[in-house]
Amino acid sequence: MAYPTELLSVVGLWTGWLLMLMIYSYPLYKENVAYRFAEHIFVAIFLAINLVVNFQYLMNTCVTPLLQGNLLMIVPLVLGILIYTMLIPEYRWVSRYPIALLVGAGFGLGMRGVIKPSILDAVVSTITAPSAGTMMNWVNFLYIAVGLLSSILYFLLTYEHIGPLQAPTRLGRLFIMIGLGAYFGNTVLFRFTMLTGRAQFFLQVLKIIPM
Amino acid sequence: MSNILKREAVFAVTGLVTVLMFVEYFFFPQDWIVASTIRNWAVIIYNISLGLGGVRLIQQHVMGTQRRKENWQFSALFLVAFVVMLLTGLAGYLGTGVATSNGIYNWLFVNVYTPLGSTAYAITGFYIFSAAYRAFRARNLDAALMLVAGCFVILSNAPVGEVIWSGIPAIGEWFRFVGQVPGMRAFEVVGALGMIAYGFRALLGKERGFYAGGAEE
Amino acid sequence: MSDQNIFDKLQNIDRRVFYWVLFITLMVPFIYPIGLPVKVVQNTRDLYEGITGDNINPGDIAIMNFGYGVSAWSECAPGFTVCAKALFREGARIVFMGSQYDVELSMNKLMNDAREDFANKVYGVDYVFLGYFTGGESAIAQLATDAWTVYPSDHYVTPDAQIPLMQDFHGWQDVTVVLSSDTGDVGSYFLRQWQGSHGTRLAEIGIAMNGSTDYPYYLAGNYFGLSIGSRGGAELEVLIREPGEATTAMDSINASHLLIVLAVILANVGYLLSRRKA
Repeated sequence: MAYPTELLSVVGLWTGWLLMLMIYSYPLYKENVAYRFAEHIFVAIFLAINLVVNFQYLMNTCVTPLLQGNLLMIVPLVLGILIYTMLIPEYRWVSRYPIALLVGAGFGLGMRGVIKPSILDAVVSTITAPSAGTMMNWVNFLYIAVGLLSSILYFLLTYEHIGPLQAPTRLGRLFIMIGLGAYFGNTVLFRFTMLTGRAQFFLQVLKIIPM
Repeated sequence: MSNILKREAVFAVTGLVTVLMFVEYFFFPQDWIVASTIRNWAVIIYNISLGLGGVRLIQQHVMGTQRRKENWQFSALFLVAFVVMLLTGLAGYLGTGVATSNGIYNWLFVNVYTPLGSTAYAITGFYIFSAAYRAFRARNLDAALMLVAGCFVILSNAPVGEVIWSGIPAIGEWFRFVGQVPGMRAFEVVGALGMIAYGFRALLGKERGFYAGGAEE
Repeated sequence: MSDQNIFDKLQNIDRRVFYWVLFITLMVPFIYPIGLPVKVVQNTRDLYEGITGDNINPGDIAIMNFGYGVSAWSECAPGFTVCAKALFREGARIVFMGSQYDVELSMNKLMNDAREDFANKVYGVDYVFLGYFTGGESAIAQLATDAWTVYPSDHYVTPDAQIPLMQDFHGWQDVTVVLSSDTGDVGSYFLRQWQGSHGTRLAEIGIAMNGSTDYPYYLAGNYFGLSIGSRGGAELEVLIREPGEATTAMDSINASHLLIVLAVILANVGYLLSRRKA
């Protein structure tokens, strides 16, 4: 994307740059009016986009088919509107029905879908010994097998972790800490990449680096 | 009767829909019109419900502006920006079926929302840096292991790790492919078992937390 | 106060100093780039090989899900762009969709970044942009059984019946591969409702944070490939031999990562010294 030349686009670019600095004035300086201004603008615009995009989707998936003769679409439309009775205290119980449908569908789909990838495949992968095994492959296999078992034991919260449970749960905690350390390492990459994008934008608008 | 409508019938609906999803999975591998219709309804209800948070937020800002609460000017600004964006978006949609066909909406979307959206999430990068400096201490074996794993993964994610020491990418890869697997897989398995247990509790009507006013009625 | 050594003083430094140091550190490599080579790891290679060569035939339908918004463009967009290019070059037909409100912006960015590849393709025949969807896991499950109910029309409100590609896409059995790029949960919905339930080939072009949770699935074979964050994007750019945004960002990533590791080491040295003194 080249540096824009049209006036409106250039104004837009600098507007975005200024708004970015307003947001960053909070961590880099302190909370101030400019930050509050940008923050409120962002939330307002985000909310409006949310409503517009969802309205567009609702019209395409529900209202248009309804107007074209699919009368069954009245049911979800009415149920969806009934959710807003949550805002009226004496009729709040009515909103439980559409929520019940959402929760039931969510749980049903989640429960039936989670068994294979998250339990069966995970266990099979853990207990499958290396086929062409060097010493390191076997060490890794044992590490994962012992680690998974002890980590799962750590989450056994209905029994106190004393006696025969103490050593394996302590070991499990160590494996979990290693996993969390790696998770932190990846989180750093994620957060810094986003900041990198902003630093790049800062320089591009000032034409210090090409766009 | 009133209590049945407010409680038991609600749990019955949850249970019925859950069971229908399972029936489809085990007995109708291709497609089942009943489950498909219910899922379609769930999508539409979900869509409509997304406006609920917005309604609350608008209520709060309208009240703040009307009652001249502290910083009411920002609430007024919020409402003005919201109305402008909403009306221009709807105008675009009603005109061509695509909201971004409206020039003002599109300009605000590209030049205000995009930089603000990127910036607001990127701000956490600062906090993770200061948190790592101030809080990440090897106080005991657990913290030390976490620290070592984190540092090796950080350095192996960046190409500079290999320049510092050729062993860093290898150790970092070990942490990614082996080291973190037991912990992460444990979360995966335990999370899955928890979802199943929680789902059965919801099926039996023992979980009421997600029903509005479920605690007192 | 006079007992404080350099480490104690560093502990009490105003955090805004850190923020400025970090911000400047991120900017300098863009002005003075170095360009260290990026080594490709196995999970990224598997992803690339899974969408090229014998694994994709001309005419195969691929779903590419924009599970990321403008905030994660620098993380996900480079890898997503490379995958779209690779699929187009194999002759695959692509269905683009997304769960973010700003999915249209992400699609416009993709079309700009891969403009040479899009120039050879016909909208509605070689690719279609279905736009925004909502409904969580229900929507993804419904997409697998009856896609036309989730998307009765594309983003430009053209009914499915008028789109040639959509005549061949009704559900999971018509799709060869799904590539999901996520900041949230949509990838896991595809995992449960497409890969787990129907065995559809699935890969993730995710943010780095999801990388840790996705690795077990990759090792178990649920994902045939995995691209982790901007590093994964840079690796994909190496594989397709077209350096792009992710490669450019790697210098900045190098500097910032080195900085945070130095900061952590410094902090811990100070901590250990103060513990010994006490």
